[in-house]
Amino acid sequence: MSRSDVLVDADWVEAHNGDPGLVLVEVDEDTSAYDKGHIRNAVKIDWKKDLQDPVRRDFVDSGGFAALLSQRGISNDDTVVLYGGNNNWFAAYAYWYFKLYGHQDVKLLDGGRKKWELESRELVTEVPKREATSYTAQDQDLSIRAFRDEVLAAIGKENLVDVRSPDEFAGRLLAPAHLPQEQAQRGGHIPTARNVPWSKAAEEDGTFKSDDALRAVYSEAGVDFGIDTIAYCRIGERSAHTWFVFHELLGQPNVKNYDGSWTEYGSLVGVPIKTGDES
Amino acid sequence: MSAGAGSTQAAGTQAAGTQAVAAGCGAPAGGAAITDAGNQAVVQGQVTKDGSPVGTGYARLLNGDGEFVAEVPLGEDGGFRFFAAPGTWTLRILAPGGVRAQQAVSAATGKIVNLEVAV
Repeated sequence: MSRSDVLVDADWVEAHNGDPGLVLVEVDEDTSAYDKGHIRNAVKIDWKKDLQDPVRRDFVDSGGFAALLSQRGISNDDTVVLYGGNNNWFAAYAYWYFKLYGHQDVKLLDGGRKKWELESRELVTEVPKREATSYTAQDQDLSIRAFRDEVLAAIGKENLVDVRSPDEFAGRLLAPAHLPQEQAQRGGHIPTARNVPWSKAAEEDGTFKSDDALRAVYSEAGVDFGIDTIAYCRIGERSAHTWFVFHELLGQPNVKNYDGSWTEYGSLVGVPIKTGDES
Repeated sequence: MSAGAGSTQAAGTQAAGTQAVAAGCGAPAGGAAITDAGNQAVVQGQVTKDGSPVGTGYARLLNGDGEFVAEVPLGEDGGFRFFAAPGTWTLRILAPGGVRAQQAVSAATGKIVNLEVAV
């Protein structure tokens, strides 16, 4: 796995847009962004409505994912290029999600929507018409998804990388005040977790830092590249961005995203929690 | 982490907007200016170029150490808003055409700082 396998730049997208077998997908937190303008031929995926089970706290199952991609006109052998706002947070989340269900050829547009906009590249409001396909999703690849018991077992043994802000890490803040339904009951972090905010991995224009710079960022924070890693944040999308860095850019084996993240861990009865700035 | 930086996430998670914020960790869109700060330390404003709003671009808030805290896309009126913590921040504007601007701003609880940023 190398950078060129998983990242494309805007020039590449402009040169290949419209090629058979290439599907551009915008994934945003602010889903109205797509409606105001998107890269020509891009379809939209709503990270919440399309990817989350509406009742249980979990993802849509493989049948649901297959139905979604079929409806969007995406085939199993298509090259999917994801991009979005917020420095590609939700695009990275979708990338991880596509990998979870076994899609082979997925890439991120480096810099996402922001860099595209800052370079004054074309955005259109026309929604492409793609014929429905018969997509087949694999079973979830649980080698990249961590659950709570694994996280507990990893304390003191694996890298736990908490990519939230220092205030969430320390327990000074629980969650956005707007979201009581997602609030954890306790603030703080998983003992032994290293705090490396996701933003340390990105340049100002939203592109990923160089491999050397990325290694330096995590090494300086005390991450050991010789052992397995679990990344988490609050709901699992910022940590998908960091999972992408570790697993896809730096080629680290055995990296998992804990999508339960703090909203689950901080609500569990009886688990160890540490507060304050220290790991 | 200093006390000032101690509430930096408030700026990120409570930054202006409603729909975008509902997703959780996000950098929501600009939103209309507000007139009552309540118990927040509001930093808001408008970005203009030659007197016209800059409707495409981003406002970033950096803490006293120059570390990234939050980012919002500019509204169509060039507007942006952060709910910061009391303290000194750096506001940085990114806009097409390589436009970059920044200025220091002091935020205080219960106060709205209105900035006019010409780029």
